[in-house]
Amino acid sequence: MYAKKTELKNASGLHARPASEFVAMAKQFESKVTVQRLDDEAALPANAKSIIKILAQGLAVGTPIEIAADGPDEVEAVEKLFELVESKFGED
Amino acid sequence: MRILKGNPVSRGVALGKVYIYKAFKADVHESYFEAGKEEEFFRKYQDAVANAEKELDSIVTAMSESSPEKAKIFTAHIEILMDEEVQEGVKEMIFESRTMPDYAVDEVYTTFATLLEKAKDPLIAARAADLRDVRNRVLRILKGEKESNLSSLRENVIVVAHDLLPSDTATMDRNRVMGIITEVGGATSHTAIIARSYKIPALLGVADATEIMRNGDNVIMDALAGKVLLDPEKETIKEYQEKLVEYIKEERETSQYLDKIPLVASGERYSIGLNVGSTDPDENFKYVDFVGLFRTEFVYMGSEHMPTEQEQFDAYKRVLANAMGNPVTLRTLDIGGDKTLRYMVMPKEENPFLGNRALRLCLDHIDMFKTQLRAALRASAFGPLQIMFPMVGTIDDIRAAKAVVNEVKEDLRTKGIAFDEKILIGIMIEIPSIGLIADMAAKEVDFASVGTNDLTQYLHAVDRMNPAITSHYQSMSPSMFRILGRIFAEFNKAGKPISVCGELAGDHLGALVMFGLGLRKFSMNAANISRVKRTLSLFTLEETEDIAKKVQGLSTEAEVISYIKGEVDKRG
Repeated sequence: MYAKKTELKNASGLHARPASEFVAMAKQFESKVTVQRLDDEAALPANAKSIIKILAQGLAVGTPIEIAADGPDEVEAVEKLFELVESKFGED
Repeated sequence: MRILKGNPVSRGVALGKVYIYKAFKADVHESYFEAGKEEEFFRKYQDAVANAEKELDSIVTAMSESSPEKAKIFTAHIEILMDEEVQEGVKEMIFESRTMPDYAVDEVYTTFATLLEKAKDPLIAARAADLRDVRNRVLRILKGEKESNLSSLRENVIVVAHDLLPSDTATMDRNRVMGIITEVGGATSHTAIIARSYKIPALLGVADATEIMRNGDNVIMDALAGKVLLDPEKETIKEYQEKLVEYIKEERETSQYLDKIPLVASGERYSIGLNVGSTDPDENFKYVDFVGLFRTEFVYMGSEHMPTEQEQFDAYKRVLANAMGNPVTLRTLDIGGDKTLRYMVMPKEENPFLGNRALRLCLDHIDMFKTQLRAALRASAFGPLQIMFPMVGTIDDIRAAKAVVNEVKEDLRTKGIAFDEKILIGIMIEIPSIGLIADMAAKEVDFASVGTNDLTQYLHAVDRMNPAITSHYQSMSPSMFRILGRIFAEFNKAGKPISVCGELAGDHLGALVMFGLGLRKFSMNAANISRVKRTLSLFTLEETEDIAKKVQGLSTEAEVISYIKGEVDKRG
């Protein structure tokens, strides 16, 4: 299990295109990957390979999240997804 | 003649025959199969998924050239169809509880759609429609039925449906559909977005539309005023036929001005602002320079209780996030008069428009006022926000309101809560008494915005809610332009920003005169932007100044309007 915390920095949050990109990237890894919002105690880790689960989280700009993975390629999975969030999905 | 009301999410007028569209209706019942057939039924589901993917793939291919935006909808459908959680959910129901595939699909998709509908973000909530759409596709294939859609209509029609799914709107024959009426849906629903992009008039939220109307009924759909006229009389039809011709002509000419830089013919730049009153995302933010009026009433009126600081803060922050970097002018609560709150006791007044409303009411309910100011100040740490007070009549009002702001600021500072220290504080000018001392007001505030609706009401002493005296409500009277000219001149002289956010700013004739009077900031509803830009582009600064001078010397509003109209018509 490997995890990293960050905050959504792109203006539109994890909706629409960014959400699709995020899920598509998560699917490239064998590990189980999850995203959990950290500003809501009731929030459970959501399957990062499910577009619906990701959308349902309603992750807007500024939301603190934890990306976690469990499996053979867990470190690479988390680092790659972390980078994607840091890159603001190409938005300014 | 019967009239139905609805929410006009895509503007326009249409006259024609009703076509009631009923999409494939899944008739699913809870049912299970006997043990041992798990593999067989799971294969059925997998085949259905494979066929659904094929259908979607071919739509994406067909559309990717002609309309890549719509192709994206179907690409998103493939994502949903192939979603890991959806697939797992259905598989589990088939293998663990031997659920028939159709019931399993219905259950899983409905659960997820309900989940999305609960999202606070309207864009995400609207995605529930995509889930239902994909569900219907899979269920239809499981039943062995062919695709039914709006792609082969035999005549021009106004489509009436309970709801249109993204696949219905995307594949429909847009040359035959003159209008769309649905029983459900809001301004950010898929139907609304697609209707606007096709420029098909659309009225959503028309209650019981499919029950009341019948196939072939002749109706007039007025998606400017938000109504459907059933069984219209001959004169009404004639009136609307003229309206339609006029509307089409105007739209064609003005729409191309929407994304133009706002310039008058002699090259002077002015600013266009947007008036907003919800947290809905709006594509029009990209065509404007500022948000001249952010009405906060919806936060209060849409709630069952006094909204908390956090609820307000979230809403204000969301508007800032939507606004694409444009500075947002937040107007503090403007209730009383015609607007009341169900959870707040307000004594009945003889003259509510002259009564305890807006800023007066806020100063009277200081805790409520402070809560809003705290939420606004906190939001100011997240984007360019400025605060504006409505119904200011005297310098005393300004000072009293500013004292409360300072108190709240001080409290935030002590608690170490972030806000914009340089936040601008301004006022609405809508009571003549403050307009007449605009020079003194300008010294007390950072900016002002004129609310021409209330200014007309108070200057002319005409209750704008009283239908018996509408002819006395004259927002283009010579007296209005005299006081406006004075307000603009004083603020310009003081070097303080002045804008107009009332309806006169969105009226192209009013905007023209006000430009001549020295106004450079016009805030309006999105629907008026292109028209104002077009009209102003026809005149040089000098010409607008001549027009402004002239109207102040005319005796009646009718003369003013006919004179300005004449000047606009002369130039096309």
